[in-house]
Amino acid sequence: MNSLVLLLMVCGVRAEDGRQIMREVQNRTKANSQRYEGTLKVIDGKNRISEKRWTYERIGSAGDSKVVLRFLAPAEVKGVALLVVNHPDRASDQWMWTPALQRDRRIALQDRSTRFFGTDFSFEDLEERDADQFDYRVLAEENVNGAACWKIEGRPKKTRSSQYTHSYLWIEKERYAVIAIDAWHNERLVRRIHYGDYRRVSNIWTPLTLEVEDMGRKSKTVLKTEKLEYNVPVKEEAFTLQALRRES
Amino acid sequence: MTLLKLLTWPYVRKHLLRTWLTVAGIALGVVVFAGMHTANDTVLYGFQKTVDRIAGKAQLEVSSGETGFPEEVLEKVQALAEVDVAVPVIEATVSAGRQGNLLLLAVDMTGDRSLREYDFEEGEEAVLEDPLVFLAQPDSLIVTRDFAARNNLAAGGKLALDTMEGRRHFTVRGIMKPGGLASAFGGSLAVMDIYAAQKVLGRGRRFDRIDLTVKPGVPVDQGRAAIQKALGSGYQVERPASRGKQFESIARIFAIGATLNGMFALLIGLFIIYNTFSVAVAQRRSEIGVLRALGATQGQIRRLFLLESAVLGLAGSGLGILLGLLMARAMAGYLSDYFGEVYGIAQRTEAVAADPALLAFSVLAGVLASMLAAWIPARQAAQVDPVRALHKSAHETFSSRESRMRLAWAAIFLAVALAMVAAGGHTGLRLYVGYLSVVIAAVLLTPAMVRALIRVLRSVLQAILPVEGALAADSLLQSPRRTSATVAAVMLSLSLVVGLGGISAASYDSIFEWMSNVLNPDLFVGTSEQIAERSYRFPPALGETIRQMDFVDQVQMVRTVRVLYRQTPVMLVATDLKSLSERVRPKVVAGDARTMFVEAAQGKGVVLADNLALMQRLKLGDVIEIPSPGGVLRLAVLGITIDYSDQAGAVLMDRSLFLRNWNDDSVNLFRVYLKRGVKPEEARQRILERLGPHSRLFVMTNQELRKYVMKVTDQWFGLTYLQIFVAVLIAILGIVNSLTVSITDRRRELGVLRAVGGLRRQVRQAVWMEAAGIGAVSIVLGLALGAVVLYYYLGVVGGDLVGIRLEYRYPAGMALLLVPTMLLVALIAALGPAEAAVRASLVEALEYE
Amino acid sequence: MEVEPLLSLAGVMIQLQQVSKVFDGKRQVTALDHVSLSVSKGEMVAITGPSGSGKSTLLNLIGGLDKPTSGEILLDGESLSQVSDDELTRVRRDKIGFIFQFFNLLPALTCLENVVLPLHLRGWPRKKIDERARELLELVELSHRLDHLPEELSGGERQRVAIARALSIYPPVLLADEPTGNLDSQTGAEILKLIQRLNERLNSTVLVVTHDMGVSGTCTRTIRLRDGRIVEDARR
Repeated sequence: MNSLVLLLMVCGVRAEDGRQIMREVQNRTKANSQRYEGTLKVIDGKNRISEKRWTYERIGSAGDSKVVLRFLAPAEVKGVALLVVNHPDRASDQWMWTPALQRDRRIALQDRSTRFFGTDFSFEDLEERDADQFDYRVLAEENVNGAACWKIEGRPKKTRSSQYTHSYLWIEKERYAVIAIDAWHNERLVRRIHYGDYRRVSNIWTPLTLEVEDMGRKSKTVLKTEKLEYNVPVKEEAFTLQALRRES
Repeated sequence: MTLLKLLTWPYVRKHLLRTWLTVAGIALGVVVFAGMHTANDTVLYGFQKTVDRIAGKAQLEVSSGETGFPEEVLEKVQALAEVDVAVPVIEATVSAGRQGNLLLLAVDMTGDRSLREYDFEEGEEAVLEDPLVFLAQPDSLIVTRDFAARNNLAAGGKLALDTMEGRRHFTVRGIMKPGGLASAFGGSLAVMDIYAAQKVLGRGRRFDRIDLTVKPGVPVDQGRAAIQKALGSGYQVERPASRGKQFESIARIFAIGATLNGMFALLIGLFIIYNTFSVAVAQRRSEIGVLRALGATQGQIRRLFLLESAVLGLAGSGLGILLGLLMARAMAGYLSDYFGEVYGIAQRTEAVAADPALLAFSVLAGVLASMLAAWIPARQAAQVDPVRALHKSAHETFSSRESRMRLAWAAIFLAVALAMVAAGGHTGLRLYVGYLSVVIAAVLLTPAMVRALIRVLRSVLQAILPVEGALAADSLLQSPRRTSATVAAVMLSLSLVVGLGGISAASYDSIFEWMSNVLNPDLFVGTSEQIAERSYRFPPALGETIRQMDFVDQVQMVRTVRVLYRQTPVMLVATDLKSLSERVRPKVVAGDARTMFVEAAQGKGVVLADNLALMQRLKLGDVIEIPSPGGVLRLAVLGITIDYSDQAGAVLMDRSLFLRNWNDDSVNLFRVYLKRGVKPEEARQRILERLGPHSRLFVMTNQELRKYVMKVTDQWFGLTYLQIFVAVLIAILGIVNSLTVSITDRRRELGVLRAVGGLRRQVRQAVWMEAAGIGAVSIVLGLALGAVVLYYYLGVVGGDLVGIRLEYRYPAGMALLLVPTMLLVALIAALGPAEAAVRASLVEALEYE
Repeated sequence: MEVEPLLSLAGVMIQLQQVSKVFDGKRQVTALDHVSLSVSKGEMVAITGPSGSGKSTLLNLIGGLDKPTSGEILLDGESLSQVSDDELTRVRRDKIGFIFQFFNLLPALTCLENVVLPLHLRGWPRKKIDERARELLELVELSHRLDHLPEELSGGERQRVAIARALSIYPPVLLADEPTGNLDSQTGAEILKLIQRLNERLNSTVLVVTHDMGVSGTCTRTIRLRDGRIVEDARR
């Protein structure tokens, strides 16, 4: 899966070569750009539901991409945008733009583990990192919902750059698609992510539904993507702070 | 102890009023001491608590005086390996109109919650769950439940706040539960997005402060050193608690005043106690004689009286502490407002913070003072000769040897005082030793002077009413101890009144002079009705706009900011010195009036306020070090002028120098000179019409500003007046005590007077005249001692406390006012005793022994 | 009751009718119990009796220092029972001179000043006061002690000053409470002689409370009290 929100990367082939499996996952989802409209539903521990909508645009591919998220709804947050500039070798830079104040603000590295504006994602979860920033190893082969999967462990090479110490990924062997991720901080399971509703768009198997569960808060965020397109014409200049300021 | 119960209790019961007066004498001293200190502690504690609660988990705070610093500094700090979480903060007190002042805590909600607990109860969806709305809407505000309840606000409610764009409505998007952060500043706290606050307060892209925690495992001091090294000496990196220290240095003036006046009040109380005990010993001579005859040792008698005084002292101290706490409560609010107004210090007093050590010390001081006062009477009691006890002896008079000793000691103390003056004792220890010597000498000389004065007074009183006058004067002469002790107490009280009054009169004179020399612009355009308020700031462009108005002649931009100089927060005033020097004529203390401003305008140095120079012992040509974001500035002192801009002292610097080193072009105040013939009121109207709708600004005319300065001065002296009030109260107490004692002591004489044909009216008048006599003698001596005391007070104020060099001017008006006041007070004090005298049973009075 | 004006005309100076004095305290004490008595002008009466018999109370009531609980006291025909304190004082200052056992001189005043104090209280002009003062001190034979303070005098001398003070206005009634009680017997006798002489010379009515039998010997009449009642009234 390319983009979307998330955690870690992807892929590989054999027990002795987790890294190759993840590279393959990354390769299969490779596209120059991507765009979709997403609907976010946050269901908290008390079953209260709140909804947001955004548009998502990306240029570049894993580890060297830039992303702009723009909120469409609810009305109070319309126009708020987030720019994520990913780097192949380190954590991303992130800026937020608030149109009412007419100014941008940096999301500091120290704050990346905090929740992304009331969703169950953290800011870190919005990054996209190259598979090479992690050490992977295949732990087992398991069946998930009738599909054969690899269970792979991923550990960031630079421990300082992530709130997670390690994650487990379940990769469907047939399509090299990520089915689920468990993200851990030492002995504590922090987040659990499920990818579902896989469709083939522009020859890329893409999950249209994504579910993140915050294990500590017992709340859940469901992202449904619509109008998903790959390799759409987008301009590099649109992914800068100046562009954010201009367009609001 | 049994002896105490057996012998003292009946006596106390019989002389209940006198016992009360004695207790009150000690109580007043303790009230002043414990009350003033507790008020001070309470304000300090309130401040510290606000700081603590706001600091949350922050271990260190980075700041650069009050100026704040550019946003980039935050990234520098965040990048340090020792730093775990670092978040920016802007803190300001803003006016919410009728709702009063709010402490605005502006933070970046994204990261701030890892440092501070925000415990919400309402508006959770909006803020806790979704800071996005909070951030997206710059009118977002989180308030405390207390504040919401006080002002009938619910989530989604609107609250008007003053902003740089004028009054704007904000939306309450979250309500915090009480406790922790929400109880800072007495609950009058609002949280806002820091970037919104920059706009609302006109701060540009700057933060006030960075709050941070260090990485787990890194010692805080190591983290602090690393940050200090990375940022340079222009920044202060400190634990949150150390902010209380700065506050303490400001409150020091008050604390020293509290100690001096409390001790003085106790000293006066000492005389009241001495008086009561002397008379008690005299009255109980026969009882003591019987005790001695029955085998009581001298030690036992002495201990009995000392124990008695200790118990009274304890009662007085207890009462004093109770009343002191009540007084502290009332005064803390007053002080709190004052500190808020003058120093812009965000703090709100809550419960009275009583320091157990302070209270214990107050009790101890009260008991010791009481025992000390009873020492001589107790010794006299012990020396009572059992055989002669039934005869009235010469105990009331002084032996000539005793008088000579007194005079000798007085001469020694006077010599010490003179030696101190000769040794240049205008400051420090020499000043205090000199002061103490003078007071002791005055007390020692009191009996002799009282005798001389009453002899003179006798003929005056006799001229008014021959018999009553003579009787009154004789009664005073007849009991020199009692009269002297009372006169000493009242004299000390009055000298305190004169001293404080002289300080206040001279201060007003001096401030008036400064205002007419320096505060001469026609209009002052500030961000708040309080000049000292520095939460809001103007962009310099606004100055240009005003300058271009056709009725404006000249505009001077003033930036005031508090910086740390030798750990004391002093006021930095940056303005266009060239233009300023053309307009104002400050009184120059040192340096060349013509060149100092020219050189300072060229950035060659600074001009200091006299009070700063005095307090920090700075001279012309010295170099002062002032921290700036670019590092420590070393600036030459080019001149020293009289300047009351700030109580802690002001440093006058050219605006260009400030801009260069602080990189901050905002403005606190515009000094506006109008063209000839333009009426200030009209000009104000036009400025407000033009700019008022778009920005928050207050235009004061020259007259209004002066009034404001006077108001702040009045507030400061309000505390002084309280002390004067207490001093007068003690004087009254002394007179009432003395007369009550005198009446009981002379029951038989008054009885004889009536038996041989004295009318009630005549007896009454004799008592009144006695009171008037004490009053008159005390006034003469008090006003005279006051003249000397004032000299020392000026030294204390000038050299030690606020560095204000005041001219010696005897407060003649106040002294004149004191004459009828004290005479009236004495007469009022005599009313009760006089009635007691005429109502007493004649038969009993004549049998009285 | 009809005899009252008659008695007055007959030169009665002091008249007591059924006078009682009860002191309220934890225990009621009846100091005088329905005492009736009349003393004529110029009489010198000794009032004797054991301690607590009511002698001093009787003297205090007659002198207007205290008021009776019941009964009527007439002094030179004026009632003392139903008058205000100031009226009582006026009666005292015009008609009565007091001599106390402990002298009760004001210690700060000189002999002369003590003697003329009552005259000052009456507002006499200075010249008249000076004349009278000399006269009085001559009368008590103390002219050489004018400017001395009481503490510089002997007991007898002090009592003489006190007597001079009591006589300052030549009162018709002189009341003395144990005038010799604080003096040695020889001095006491001298003082007594002085009082007697004055009684004769000024024709004052003199009441002396005493338990000195020598005193009663000097007097023309002796009244003995016990438990608040007159148990003996003897003229010599």
